[in-house]
Amino acid sequence: MRDTLETMRGRLAETPHLLRLGRLFTETVQLRVDDAEYYLDFEKGALVTITEGPSRKTPYRFALVTDGEALARFWEPVPAPGFHDIFGLVKLGRARIEGDILTLVKNLRFFKEFMALARREAVQ
Amino acid sequence: MTAIEPITGRYLTVTVEGAPRRIYFEEAGEGRPVLCLHTAGADTRQWRHLMNDAEVTATHRLIAFDMPWHGKSLPPEGFEIQEYLLTTDAYIETILAVIDGLGLERPILAGCSMGGRIALQLAALHPERFSGFIAIAASDFQPAWYDIDWFHRPDAHGGEMGAALVSANISPHAPEEERWNTLWMFMQSGPGVFRGDLSFYTRDDSLIARLGQIDCARTPVHILVGAYDLTCTPEDAERTARAIPGATLTVMDELGHFPMSEHPHGFRPFFLDALARMRQPAEVA
Repeated sequence: MRDTLETMRGRLAETPHLLRLGRLFTETVQLRVDDAEYYLDFEKGALVTITEGPSRKTPYRFALVTDGEALARFWEPVPAPGFHDIFGLVKLGRARIEGDILTLVKNLRFFKEFMALARREAVQ
Repeated sequence: MTAIEPITGRYLTVTVEGAPRRIYFEEAGEGRPVLCLHTAGADTRQWRHLMNDAEVTATHRLIAFDMPWHGKSLPPEGFEIQEYLLTTDAYIETILAVIDGLGLERPILAGCSMGGRIALQLAALHPERFSGFIAIAASDFQPAWYDIDWFHRPDAHGGEMGAALVSANISPHAPEEERWNTLWMFMQSGPGVFRGDLSFYTRDDSLIARLGQIDCARTPVHILVGAYDLTCTPEDAERTARAIPGATLTVMDELGHFPMSEHPHGFRPFFLDALARMRQPAEVA
């Protein structure tokens, strides 16, 4: 997972339209996958640090809680119904959003496209 | 490249809720009339691919109109101090006023999402005005899995948030160009309009009790639902079809919630099949 997140960070840095969409997004997002926790620090749309948990001291704005198999299916080139979107994962009961969901919704296109960055190489 | 499309657009003024509404409508083709209803937060552009389809328009006159507050139809006078909340009654009154205003004789009604929901309401309440119903992404009722107030607030762009949300309902099989053309309509939606549509779609459950009174022997009902639709899932549509005696249903494996707009090529055979299921008025008892 760590390698995948690093790949996503690199791709984000090379995706000008996402950096522009995220220019007001300076937040920490917690990603929980199975038993692992990652804190993603975004600054003006760039992912500046990825810190592995667990941590009880790190504040975050919102969390995406899911499992590795669901994410793997989310990242398939053509995901199956429900696995094609993070809210689809939520609807399937394979993910949930915790914390300040309104901040997520205000930045929803940015965050959804960021999460899909691990899918890009398969699509192209 | 230069191309002039066969679609023409005009304006019609009708009375709804005791006051005038200036309605924009488009049409193409000749033959049996098909009145097409757009989804929440969008407009007639969702239908442009079918309206430009020569095979469809050779035998059908497709008409689509922008609901008041949407597209090129103006909101009513005094909108600036009103809260837009679409109701079943106002929606029905608007559709019937457009049919009367255009002089349409028992059109087929094709509606998507909230348009599919109201199509089923009309199948229950005013079947004599139509010759059949193509209800796309249509179901009895689902409460919102989101907060509709997200989409109308002074500190954020409701259209951009709405587009980002509904992108969850577009199939990954959809061509990128049409995915984004579909989302653009949501981005352009006026402030509070998507929210007001969703109020109708996610809070009015009055259709549930009426489904059993739909008479498909008189006016056929065909429901189309996309496998990638998170808002009206195949399970929602199947539950709805089961409650309508004689209704038929097709699940479209590679499509989402806006099939005529997000993936016109993929939707085309399903729409042609649906049209073929709509018996001519003379055949209808």
